[in-house]
Amino acid sequence: MIERLPLPAQFDRIIMVGGTAAALVMTPILVVLLALLIGDEISAAELVFWLAFTVIVAGALGTVLLSNIVHAALALIATLLGVAAIYLLLATEFIALVQILVYGGGVVILIIFGLMMTNAQADPVVTDGSQKPFAAIVGVLLGSIFIAAAIDAEWGAQTAAVVPFRDFGARLFRDFIVPVIIVGVLLDIALSGALVNARPPRDDADEPAAEGEATS
Amino acid sequence: MIPLENFLILSGILFATGLYGVLARRSAILILMSVELMLAAVSINFVAFAAYLDGEAFSGLVFALFVITVAAAEVGLALGIVLRLFRERRTSYVDAADSLKW
Repeated sequence: MIERLPLPAQFDRIIMVGGTAAALVMTPILVVLLALLIGDEISAAELVFWLAFTVIVAGALGTVLLSNIVHAALALIATLLGVAAIYLLLATEFIALVQILVYGGGVVILIIFGLMMTNAQADPVVTDGSQKPFAAIVGVLLGSIFIAAAIDAEWGAQTAAVVPFRDFGARLFRDFIVPVIIVGVLLDIALSGALVNARPPRDDADEPAAEGEATS
Repeated sequence: MIPLENFLILSGILFATGLYGVLARRSAILILMSVELMLAAVSINFVAFAAYLDGEAFSGLVFALFVITVAAAEVGLALGIVLRLFRERRTSYVDAADSLKW
């Protein structure tokens, strides 16, 4: 037996159920795609695309449908990694790496920390609102409009262009220097705002208590 | 070569799913995660258009980069607000944030 850290008992169940479900969903799709690839129906790039498509859509549905918030966060990670795969497919390695670094490494960790701190698991039932049918109608309608528009439109000549890494940095800091500066200022403001909002409240020991109470 | 429409359809599905999440969820953190889905969908569109339609393939990439940056800033700020909401109301559900509602 492998020696391992003591984990909560439900952890094993989560891994078993989640792994089995993912295997059950992904294996037939992978088999079908491989058969199509061998039969020269699709290219290798299309195989990768459809795999990423499956991961992204399944992860997105998990993010919005799962009632357990930690599971939803895990599904979000899967979706964002799938999006990174799409960027790689479009030959934009830099954006793909930034996506993995910023989203997988930063944003999701922040979100998981946030939900640990707010103990949002205490009442998971409330996540389902009465506005659910309305939200489903709006989502399906908008999605149909997007798909219909994408299929219907005439896109003209399509060229698969590739930007080399070096050109990207050079042009970013030469032609787009003003947006870069503005984004820097924006990040500064966001940092200050997050700090001000998340700072623990002061113990107003040496201040009159009535002053704080009156404004809130 | 994969047709451009495939990427646009994927992005549309992703965006619609995220919109459903924003509208249907009540927990502020889950709404934040759904917003991330919508932003990722928009980024896919930018990168796909840049790779397929722009000869230089550049403006779209810069836009995608800025979208990622703004998303990171937004998550940091929003989680600060959520923490504050939780501290004041002992819950992170957006229904609790009704001080300005009459």
